[in-house]
Amino acid sequence: MLKTERDEIFEKTGQRREDFSVCMGCKICASVCTLNDIGKNVNPQDLLLSIFLGHIPNDHSIVTYCTSCYRCVESCPWRIKIPEIVRAIRERSKGDLFTRTFKSSIAIFGRAYEPYIFFRILPFLLKKGYLRYLPRWIRYMNFSFPPFLLRR
Amino acid sequence: MRIAVLGGGISGISSAKVALRFGHEVIIIEKEGKIGGLMARIANCRVGFQTFFEEIRNSPKLKVLTGKRVLSCERRNGLFLLDLDDGERVEVDRVVLATGLISCEPDTKGRRILSSLEYDSLIDQRNEALPNDLKKIAFILCHGSRSRDYPLCSSVCCSYTLRQIKWTLLRTHPEITVFYNDLRLFGQEFFLLKALKDSNVRFLRTNSKSMEEDEEGVKVRYFSGGKLFEEKFNYLVTVNALRPNPELGHLSRIFGFSLNEHGFVKEASPLQTDVDGVFACGGSLEPMNIKDSILTGFAAGYLASGGKGITGGKMVFRKDPPGFDLPDSGESFAFYLGVDDTYSSMFYEYFSLVFVELALKLVERKKQVYVVTRNSVFPSYEELIYEKARREGVVFIHLEEDERVSFDKGSLRIEGGKKIEIKVDHLILMEDFCRYFREFEVLGFSRSEPQLRWSPTKWDRNRYHVGFLRYPRSRRWETREYYAACAEALLDSEARKVPEVLEESCSGCGFCKNACLANAIETKRRDRTLSLFGLHPTTFDPIAKIDPNLCIGCGLCASICPSHAIKFDFTRTSTDRQSAQENR
Ligand code: SF4
Ligand code: SF4
Ligand code: SF4
Ligand code: SF4
Repeated sequence: MLKTERDEIFEKTGQRREDFSVCMGCKICASVCTLNDIGKNVNPQDLLLSIFLGHIPNDHSIVTYCTSCYRCVESCPWRIKIPEIVRAIRERSKGDLFTRTFKSSIAIFGRAYEPYIFFRILPFLLKKGYLRYLPRWIRYMNFSFPPFLLRR
Repeated sequence: MRIAVLGGGISGISSAKVALRFGHEVIIIEKEGKIGGLMARIANCRVGFQTFFEEIRNSPKLKVLTGKRVLSCERRNGLFLLDLDDGERVEVDRVVLATGLISCEPDTKGRRILSSLEYDSLIDQRNEALPNDLKKIAFILCHGSRSRDYPLCSSVCCSYTLRQIKWTLLRTHPEITVFYNDLRLFGQEFFLLKALKDSNVRFLRTNSKSMEEDEEGVKVRYFSGGKLFEEKFNYLVTVNALRPNPELGHLSRIFGFSLNEHGFVKEASPLQTDVDGVFACGGSLEPMNIKDSILTGFAAGYLASGGKGITGGKMVFRKDPPGFDLPDSGESFAFYLGVDDTYSSMFYEYFSLVFVELALKLVERKKQVYVVTRNSVFPSYEELIYEKARREGVVFIHLEEDERVSFDKGSLRIEGGKKIEIKVDHLILMEDFCRYFREFEVLGFSRSEPQLRWSPTKWDRNRYHVGFLRYPRSRRWETREYYAACAEALLDSEARKVPEVLEESCSGCGFCKNACLANAIETKRRDRTLSLFGLHPTTFDPIAKIDPNLCIGCGLCASICPSHAIKFDFTRTSTDRQSAQENR
């Protein structure tokens, strides 16, 4: 079962499994990773190792924070595309309601179509109280009709 | 026969030595202004290329052309007609390629980031003073090798780095850090490694490409033991890949032999290119150390000279090491490639290969395979097998220095920087296999030490060892070692086999001079004082003199001499002689 999960990830990256498993554990990727510039203390190779050991690292801090800067790919002796793995894991993970709605909007309309998104999340918004999910500053904004509507 | 050796490095002159011993004429053609190649550039090398070259330098059949390139080659009646770039034309029967390796220099070259050869000249023993900020140094290994662009392991840089550290520590005591992926050491070098570790040289199994250079030093960022570190070193040495000489491409076009995708010679049979009469040795075959260059040089010189393998002496065969079978049952297998004691470390090279081949077989049977490595030794082409295993899905777990591994009823646990626990059905430990080999006598220690003598396969005075007994390594080397041993036995017999003229008996008839096949005998004038009733007139008469450089050791002169004035040992080889003595 794990195996299929793993293969699914590799499939999503658009690469073959062996393009990743060729990693030789040099940890050069960690030495250049942008996340280490901001003190995250991560080793992108961890991601590969845990996938090959059969565990999908959904909540690894690289999956959360990777900037897709491709620095690791540039420096890796084998040009292993770790950010693609990150992307695949992110894509696979269900995500919260907003992410899912956003994704399905893209899938259906090819863009973020607000009315669709609005209606999809409406039950949620109503249940939880509408304004709670809007930033505080919105409350203080002046809402007004656009000028061309007012002219009529 | 005339033999052209292309390249005057250590492998080139080694093959020249053997060809000269056969009595052939040898022409060494070197592209650079002086011979010596990469070995001569190692400033701290104690042995020195010159020591080797001295032995054959004055040989009258040797011709050394420096600063010359072969521009084209024409074949006529089995001869190679080589046109050199100064218009000279050389006619030879055989060609030995000894183009050697070149070190690819780093892209970040500066005062603080040095290549290993640059560092070597910085700490040259002949320099009076060392730079006074030689306080904190780091070495970064595998720079440019073992990557997608150049998948081979350069096979000598780990060993070279170890020696550089030794040379440094002989003069001063800086803080030294080595960033490595695997330590590809051979034989004795594992003992050196231990000695260096004991003298506080820090070895870290991690690597880095994050280097920031400024006036005082280089800031390196690296990830080790689960944490990120940033450290500043006064000097950073990047240990660069060794690649085939680009000249080899040019030669392959003019001679028509083929190269493999890495730019090295493709061997049709051991040490032979796919063009008849063109042989290859040393760095034109693969990255290899000095000792192996001598070894392949000997072997190629032997084959090019028409050597057919040992005809005398005694061949002793020992049994092959046992095959390793694995159980059919079970789904997951774990190999542990790691030993603690230094002696067993010499088996890393052998078991790295054995384990990975087994792992590949298991993966083919759709099993889950883990290989936990403390170190792995896959020099030069062996690295490709390692790469293949990684691609095929063998999971490699690299243990860092302070990570511990423990085995407990079907599970394997790793603690330290990373925490891993895996369930496995079978556990295969290198330690167990090493125990089996305890009683084997292996010549391991000398696998990598180029001694003053040119003796890559010699065990003791009369024995030459090849294959598993010499050093457990890839089987590709067996044939090479065999021919090298043949060459070495031949070279060793040289000294004893030049016949000796007994001055009192020689009548100066000159029969031997006419008989000699190699024109090695000249009749020289010798002065004599005669005693004649108180008068002591001086007179002279001829005497035979043998030039040991020209003599091929056939013994014809000794058998033909009417006065029995030439002493010659007719037993074939030293081994023969020894067994003759034993029988007596
Ligand atoms: S792409 Fe992601 S993992 Fe790679 S260096 Fe950038 S932030 Fe780090
Ligand atoms: S740099 Fe590439 S080969 Fe090295 S550990 Fe990272 S992913 Fe693996
Ligand atoms: S010998 Fe191999 S492992 Fe060692 S530094 Fe050179 S390329 Fe790397
Ligand atoms: S052994 Fe005698 S005949 Fe033969 S090459 Fe030497 S000197 Fe000449």
